[in-house]
Amino acid sequence: MLYDALRFYPGGDRAVEVELGDGMDFTINFIVHRLVAAVRQAQIAAIQDLIPELASFQVNYDPDVMSYEDLCAEISQIYQQLGRGVTGSLPSRLITIPVLYYDDETTACIDAYRKSYPDKVPDPELVCELNGLHDRAALKRRHSGTEYWVAALGFWPGLCSLLPLRPQCRIIAPKYNPPRTHTPKGAIGIGGALTCIYPDATPGGYQLIGHTPAPTYDGAQRLPDFKDSLALFRAGDRVRFAPVGAEEYRDIQARVAEGTYRHDIIDYQVFSVDLYLDWAKAQEAAA
Amino acid sequence: MSRSFITLKPGLQTCVQELPGRIGFLEQGFPLSGPFDSWSFRQANLLVGNDRDAAALECQFVGPTLKLDADCLVAVTGGDMRPTLDGSPIPMWTTVAAAAGQELALGAAMTGARAYIAISGGIATEPVLGSRAVFHQAGVGGRALVPGQVTQLGDATADTTVWTIPEESRPEFSRDKTWVIEALAGPNDDWLSPETVQTFFSADWKVQAKSSRTGIRLTGPEFAFSERATNKNADHGQDPSNIIDHGYPMGAVNLAGQTPIILVNDAPSTGGFINPFTVASAAFWKLAQAKPGEVLRFRRIDLDEAGVLRAALDMVTRPEVLQRA
Repeated sequence: MLYDALRFYPGGDRAVEVELGDGMDFTINFIVHRLVAAVRQAQIAAIQDLIPELASFQVNYDPDVMSYEDLCAEISQIYQQLGRGVTGSLPSRLITIPVLYYDDETTACIDAYRKSYPDKVPDPELVCELNGLHDRAALKRRHSGTEYWVAALGFWPGLCSLLPLRPQCRIIAPKYNPPRTHTPKGAIGIGGALTCIYPDATPGGYQLIGHTPAPTYDGAQRLPDFKDSLALFRAGDRVRFAPVGAEEYRDIQARVAEGTYRHDIIDYQVFSVDLYLDWAKAQEAAA
Repeated sequence: MSRSFITLKPGLQTCVQELPGRIGFLEQGFPLSGPFDSWSFRQANLLVGNDRDAAALECQFVGPTLKLDADCLVAVTGGDMRPTLDGSPIPMWTTVAAAAGQELALGAAMTGARAYIAISGGIATEPVLGSRAVFHQAGVGGRALVPGQVTQLGDATADTTVWTIPEESRPEFSRDKTWVIEALAGPNDDWLSPETVQTFFSADWKVQAKSSRTGIRLTGPEFAFSERATNKNADHGQDPSNIIDHGYPMGAVNLAGQTPIILVNDAPSTGGFINPFTVASAAFWKLAQAKPGEVLRFRRIDLDEAGVLRAALDMVTRPEVLQRA
C-alpha cells in the first residue's frame, strides 16, 4: 500500500528515513527509485548518501548545510512535482546468473546448521512445504521461471534484494532464527518474498536453495565485468537464474579462477513499466 | 623520496582510517568506515601538522609496534596504550619527533579502547572508492596491518613544531565505567511501547564482549512493542522487531529480537530490523572508548542540542586548540 504522503523519521542528526508505503512490491519500489533519482538530480548540496530500499529510502545529509525541516520540505516538493503515478520506461540490464540448485556446498552448510538445530527442516523442503510445491524440481522450475527486479542493494557490498516479476513465481520463506554464522560465497537464498545472492562468505538468514559460481562482487576487480564497479548489480537491473548441471558449473568455476569468465549481461533493453504492469495483471487474472 | 613504516607487531586490529569515510557507496552496500573516535583522530593529525581528516592509524584494545624508515613527527591520542619510542615512554596528546629507524610501540589500553597514531605526511595507501578508510571484514581499502607489511607515507612539510593538546580540549574518558551517551528518538521509536521508550533512557546498558567496529551489543531490560510492531503487514516478517528492509543510519540502536546493537562505522547499510533510537553524531567517540563490561546511559536530546554538541566537537578539533609544548 502506497501512503498518501511521504512519512519522515529522523535517524539521529545526520540521516532521515523516508517511507513511501507499507509492503514489498514492485510498484512501491519503483516509485522509491524514481523519487531517489529525482532527489539525486536536484543536486541538493547537503545530501551525502541516498539508500533506496524496498518501500523507503534513507538520506544521509550534512545538518550544518541544511536543516532536517528544510530537507524534508524539499523532498516533499520533489515528490509532489513527480506525482505518484507508476508509468514510463527505463533502461534496465538483463543479467543471467547460472545456478546449480541443491549443490554440495550449500547442502553442507544446511547440514552444519542442523547439527546445532536438529528441528530445522532442510531449506529446500521447508520452502516447498510453505509454497505448496511438491518437490525440489517444482521449486527449481518456479524459482528459475521468472525475471527478477533488483529492488535494492545493501547489508554487505554487492548484496542484492531481488523481487520476482512474474506474479505466479512469488515464493515466500521465513528467515533463520537464530541466523547462520556462515554462508558460502555465491549461495542463493530466499527470505520473506525476496531472493538474494551472497556476494561473499558472511553470516545470513535466508533459506538456501543453490549456488552460483559466477561472482557478484569482486573486490580486486579481477574479472573484466568488474572493471567499472566492485559490485555486479545496480538497482533497476533484472536478473534471470539459469539452471546448470555439475559439468557446466565446474567449467564456469574454472573460467572464474583463470580470470576469463564473462557475465551474460544484455544492456540494449528498455523496461516499460506500463507494459509490465498490464502483463502482470493479465498473468494474475489467468492464474 | 618515498617514506614508509614497517609493521613489526600488528596489535589486535590496527587499520588505516580517513575522514569523512567512504561517502556515496552505501547504496551498493559499502559502509562508511572511517575513525570510530573522530575527536581523538583529528587531534592526532593536528599535532603532526596534517589536515585533520588525513589518513592515520586506529588501534583497537592493543596497539602495534612500527619501525619508521624516515624522520617524522608522530602523535598518539585516544585510549592510553602507553606508547614508547625505542623503549622509552613518550607522552600522548603531544607531538613527538622520531628519527628514521626508531620503533614506536603501543601496549594494551589502560583507559579507553581505541588509540590513534598520526604520522606527519599522513598515510598514502591507495584510495578505494574515493577513500583510504579500511573496511577490514570485506577487505575494502585494505585490511588490518600484518607483520612485515610496508605502508607508504605522504610527503610532510619541514615544520617540526612540538605541540600539545591541553587537558581541557581532550575527550574526557569515564572514570567510573559509566558513560552518558546523548541519543535521539527515532526513526522507529513508534514500534515500541511508550513505557519501553522511557525505560531506554533511564536504564543501565552494559556493553557486551561481542562488540566491534560493526556494532556495540548491549545487555539491559526487555523491550515491549507497540501495535505497529505486533499487528503489521506480513511482508515485515514474524518477529515484532522485523521491518521491511530499510536503511540503517550510523549510530542507530538496532533491535534484533531482544538484543540492541548500536550500529557503528563498519555496520551494515541496510537490513530488516527496527532502529528505535539513534546516538547523536557528536557522541560516537564515546562508543569507541567504552570497554566491554562498562555501562552506557542514554540521555535524550533533540536535533537542536545535537547541533550544539556537533559545533562544540568541531571547535576542539581545529588547529586553534594546539598549544606549544
